[in-house]
Amino acid sequence: MGKVLVFLEQREGQLKKASLDILLRAYELARMTGDGPVAAVLPGPVDTASLPSLGVRLYHASDPSLAHYSQYSYAALIQEAFALEGAADLLFADTALARDLAPLLSIRMNASLLQGCSALPAPGEPSIRPLYSGAATGEFTPSAPLRIITLIPSGERPEPSTGGLLRVIPLPTPKPVGLSAVVREVVLQSGMPDVSEAGIIIAGGRGVGGPEGFRLLEELALLLKGAVGASRSAVDEGWRPHSEQIGQTGKSVAPALYIACGISGAVQHLAGISRARTVVAINRDPHAPIFGAADYGLVADLHTALPALTLAVRELQELK
Amino acid sequence: MEIAVCVCLVPDTASVIGFQDNRLDMTRVSEVMNPYDEYALEEALRMREGAGGGVVRVFSVVPSEKKELLRKALAMGADRLVIVDAPHALDPWQTASALRDAFLDVYGDSMPEMVFCGRRSTDFGSGEVPGMLAALLGVPSVSAVVSLEAVPDGSFLLVREIEGGTEQLRVAVPALLSTEKGLNIPRKTSMKGVMEARKKPVDILPDRALPAPRAALSAIRPAVKRKPCHMVEGVDELVRLLNRTEGLF
Repeated sequence: MGKVLVFLEQREGQLKKASLDILLRAYELARMTGDGPVAAVLPGPVDTASLPSLGVRLYHASDPSLAHYSQYSYAALIQEAFALEGAADLLFADTALARDLAPLLSIRMNASLLQGCSALPAPGEPSIRPLYSGAATGEFTPSAPLRIITLIPSGERPEPSTGGLLRVIPLPTPKPVGLSAVVREVVLQSGMPDVSEAGIIIAGGRGVGGPEGFRLLEELALLLKGAVGASRSAVDEGWRPHSEQIGQTGKSVAPALYIACGISGAVQHLAGISRARTVVAINRDPHAPIFGAADYGLVADLHTALPALTLAVRELQELK
Repeated sequence: MEIAVCVCLVPDTASVIGFQDNRLDMTRVSEVMNPYDEYALEEALRMREGAGGGVVRVFSVVPSEKKELLRKALAMGADRLVIVDAPHALDPWQTASALRDAFLDVYGDSMPEMVFCGRRSTDFGSGEVPGMLAALLGVPSVSAVVSLEAVPDGSFLLVREIEGGTEQLRVAVPALLSTEKGLNIPRKTSMKGVMEARKKPVDILPDRALPAPRAALSAIRPAVKRKPCHMVEGVDELVRLLNRTEGLF
């Protein structure tokens, strides 16, 4: 791998953990392989004193006008940092923002673009990405001298190594550009994490029976600091918002624990959970295909099993 | 008013992606218009209807013998179908380049007021083509739009989903928008629409020299199967296993 520049993403002044994880992973990889230094670029006002003390250069454009995402200004800043650093690889956490920005950058920089990769490819190695919503894996060989890679969260959180010294290099604010798309307002829901970021997901399908039934899932999700997910049929019934849909026409998720409640397990749904570490299925039908994709299965009515599960987990946590 | 929609073909959702000797077996797969592209087309049709006229042109980079599979776009109400003949599979950069060339052929110097694309395809699903095409056309783009509203000054207010919330944006035309589920409910095709679609024009642009791929597919293999499911008797056993074996809770 050549010199690496990692994009650090902030929303409302909060650094996105997923993008910090990519920086830590790239930093560890470079330390192990003895490869060239790792640098980061961060548009927007963030208190850099809160960052782990890594021996990296941080190109920081801290102007408050960059608090909200702007495609053209962000692209200009990243290109400037990339050139200053003489980097060959640009890494993003695979977020909504990265997916909006990376294609534009790949054209401006004549770079190979690899969106949604599951691991950091070693030099000369192809990058690996799920295809057909997880039914297959593909190897892609980047052929341009520069590479832009967006990485899906791995579920594993690297330990921040310390001891280095963060060197902050201020970047000037780019001049406003006409014609571009401008973010006016960001509305963040409070409370539960997004399914694409959650470490634990309690998901429900048609078997939940209605919007009220999802309270049982919410209760367990709250206890485990997880998120509630939904199958396509639960979303199409209007029981849950589309932002929670998991599967082929929803989100692909990679939690440490996925509990599927009353989800039969259509291939389109299974496609979205192929990267979950541990899958638990609770279903009344012992022949439901979800059991074929689960690590642990319980044939039971979720309306009695879930409250019992919540109680058991609460007791376990109180013992600690 | 000219509106462009870019669509592609994907295996229909009932198809099973099979493998034979570690190679993709497409013999039992039937192809349909990518579901996300239906939201794009529906939004384009609504925009034309709202403007009281205009032309909705659908572009697709596919082998020309598959053009009939896209007649559904005409049956839904698009005015013309433009097929960019591509006998071989292309990478996203090549697809975006082929679409840019087709736009130049069809529109010359006057770009369409709005370009709609599906957020991603359901096959390879990298979602790279829309943003690349916008950059090649030199227009701003917004990905994964779930709401779209015209403002009297000619610009548009958009909402897109981000992790844990939404983002409201304002964009001036011409622009390229990629569409997410939730933006609209695509109309069903009527018998009348299907009849009319038979008579609508399909333009086939010859394939031409394309740039070399930048991220070519070098191998494909089936996803690794999980170990068999461990069936448990009750909640207590489940919690114990998750806690002791998986280190959870």
